[in-house]
Amino acid sequence: MLDSPGRTAPAAGRPHQSRPYWRLRTVSAVAAISLAAALAACSSNSNSSAPGSGSGATLTFADVAPFSGVDAALGPIYLVSCTGATNAINKAGGILGHKVACTTADTRGEPADAVPAVGNLFSTAKNLELVIGCTSDEAASVVPVINSHHTVMFCMTGQSEFDHVHFQYFYRLVPPDLAESYAMTVIAQNLGYKKIALAFGNDIGSQTFVQPAIAAIAKAGLKLVANETLDLHATTFRSEAQKIVAAHPDAIMTEALGSADPTLLAEIKQLNGGKMIPIIGTSAAISPAFYSACAKAVGAADFAKNFHADNLVTATSGPAYNAFTQSLLAIKGKTSGQIGNFSTYFSAPGAVHLYDGMNLAALAMVAAKSTDVAKWLPWIATIGDGAPGAVTVYSFAQGVAALKKGEKIRYEGPGGPTVFDAFHDSPGIFQIDTYSAKGAVVVSGNITAAQLRAVQP
Amino acid sequence: MPSVGFGLITAAVLAIAAVGFTLQFAVTNVLNLAFASIMTLAAFVAYWINQTGVSIWIALIASIAAGALISVALNYFVYSPFQRRGSAPITLVIVSLGMALILEFGTSAIVGGISVSYNMSQGSTVKFAGMILTTVQLIIIAISVVVMAGVYALLRYTKLGKAMRATAANRMLARNSGIRASRVIAITWALTGALCGLAGIVFAIDVQSFDPTSTDIFLILILAAVFLGGPGHAYGAMLGALVIGLATEVSAAYIQSDYKYVVAFVILLAMLAVRPTGLLGTRT
Repeated sequence: MLDSPGRTAPAAGRPHQSRPYWRLRTVSAVAAISLAAALAACSSNSNSSAPGSGSGATLTFADVAPFSGVDAALGPIYLVSCTGATNAINKAGGILGHKVACTTADTRGEPADAVPAVGNLFSTAKNLELVIGCTSDEAASVVPVINSHHTVMFCMTGQSEFDHVHFQYFYRLVPPDLAESYAMTVIAQNLGYKKIALAFGNDIGSQTFVQPAIAAIAKAGLKLVANETLDLHATTFRSEAQKIVAAHPDAIMTEALGSADPTLLAEIKQLNGGKMIPIIGTSAAISPAFYSACAKAVGAADFAKNFHADNLVTATSGPAYNAFTQSLLAIKGKTSGQIGNFSTYFSAPGAVHLYDGMNLAALAMVAAKSTDVAKWLPWIATIGDGAPGAVTVYSFAQGVAALKKGEKIRYEGPGGPTVFDAFHDSPGIFQIDTYSAKGAVVVSGNITAAQLRAVQP
Repeated sequence: MPSVGFGLITAAVLAIAAVGFTLQFAVTNVLNLAFASIMTLAAFVAYWINQTGVSIWIALIASIAAGALISVALNYFVYSPFQRRGSAPITLVIVSLGMALILEFGTSAIVGGISVSYNMSQGSTVKFAGMILTTVQLIIIAISVVVMAGVYALLRYTKLGKAMRATAANRMLARNSGIRASRVIAITWALTGALCGLAGIVFAIDVQSFDPTSTDIFLILILAAVFLGGPGHAYGAMLGALVIGLATEVSAAYIQSDYKYVVAFVILLAMLAVRPTGLLGTRT
């Protein structure tokens, strides 16, 4: 058989260049790169997010989220929202004469990659006013960093630690993960499922659902029959699928993004004699990428028939919804990573709530008449929660017009009214979503606060 | 027993990749860590063709060709220049790691962060001896068996195979014996690249949903199979793939499934502690 090649001599080729020559070239290259890096750093530092950006300078909103790795579908969703919102803001004259642009920082969904990505963002982005994104994958590591740079962030993380730890610049318009676990349990109850299997990814963002779900399932009197942790880097989940099928659950609660859930669902269907087991997903499953991958893996009709997910109540009509959808439709096909049925973005939590966050921040700057964060920060809650006598506005343009008239405003976007608590959380209320076979999101019911309390341990 | 069936299908896919990897390493002297990234890229080539309505079984040929072309190009434009300059083996490992990242991120930039699936049927489910497999999985196992037999025949009965073995054993001596080693190496890149492309498409067919990062951990499994069998030994890689495939799936059936890779690598470490040259390796 073939032998180990360790003993073979290197292939003969052209003679080596002399060492001093290569050393000189190497030293020159390193020196040139260092000089370029130093110049870049100096130039960017001189322009970085100084308080109160100069007149006319373009302000930057940064999408800090995974654009690669297993959760790579998240960043592009937020980018659609960012591009749509900033485009609408610019069309309405910008913020105090400043245009707004989006930039991105790819966290790869890993804290180890996220921290340097954010560090790089702060050293290179000019007039950085707002960060959006920060999913549960990286929030714990990047939120303190962003906060230390006195930069406002609207985050998508649902981690419960942010319910009781105060970060001055941290805002969240999505519910804590434990509330989503309760909502999924209520969906199972509503649909009459008794035996539940859990299949969550081994990433931070997915694992935060597991313990609250186990507790809520017990409180609701349902039976937990399987609990599988899915390694998101694994190639197949046949053994996990077999265990789940053997446990005969009525439904599977799951969040395993990337190709994990599509692969798992396909394998479950295969091992279950070609029949899908009903799925209850988290709000992260309301995304074009998730639908597209699952529909292809198990068949669109089958997936649509067997899938439910919790989602925050979002508008499906009215002035806020119209302004939001027009903003997004204006940039349809103009950002990378757009896939599937575009209307799914109108219900995707990452698109809806970050759009609201950006409008809140932009209106806060206008109301404060300053891009100095120290001045506009307090206006976020004022405009979100509304002061007595405030008129409700449904878009940035409406808000600016009202402010120009000297009116107090309350912004209410497609994500509904906000009520910020002491930790800047505004969790909202839940609805139940399904998909049509063409990938459009269909609202099939609502979850009341009383129902959530009933399953809360 | 179902887990044994799962292990066999995992082993079948892994064997194609591991044999390609180990042959490439043995003959070319390059531990090509970009192998799994090329698999993914080849799988996406098949996906793009499949999306135009072409059957995945025809797209399979394109995937094989893509694997071969990319591998030959990678050697010609990247590895060969480094080898000609007499770069140390560890330098080439780092270069190949860099290429792996370039290919993965490049693919990701092209396709976006989405998971895709081929338009194909997995066929009916077949149950026998307690195992549950689809007809497509049985086809994958059959492809793997044919490839293993083909590799055996190539190495044992053909002039090219003998030249590959000679080049792997001692490149200088092979040259002095009249073997055109550089030509053998070029052909090896094409052949093993073709195996890489084939491994990519059968991997993607098997997992049913894949993205640019899907083969990240599969590379580790390939390395485990190769080193378990003895690096540079094609038959060892086949055996290693079988052990790793069965170990991961069978262990997952009896213990918590997130430990399945832990079990596989504990077996690898234990094996290497007892037999550092691998199952079929020999001390030099």
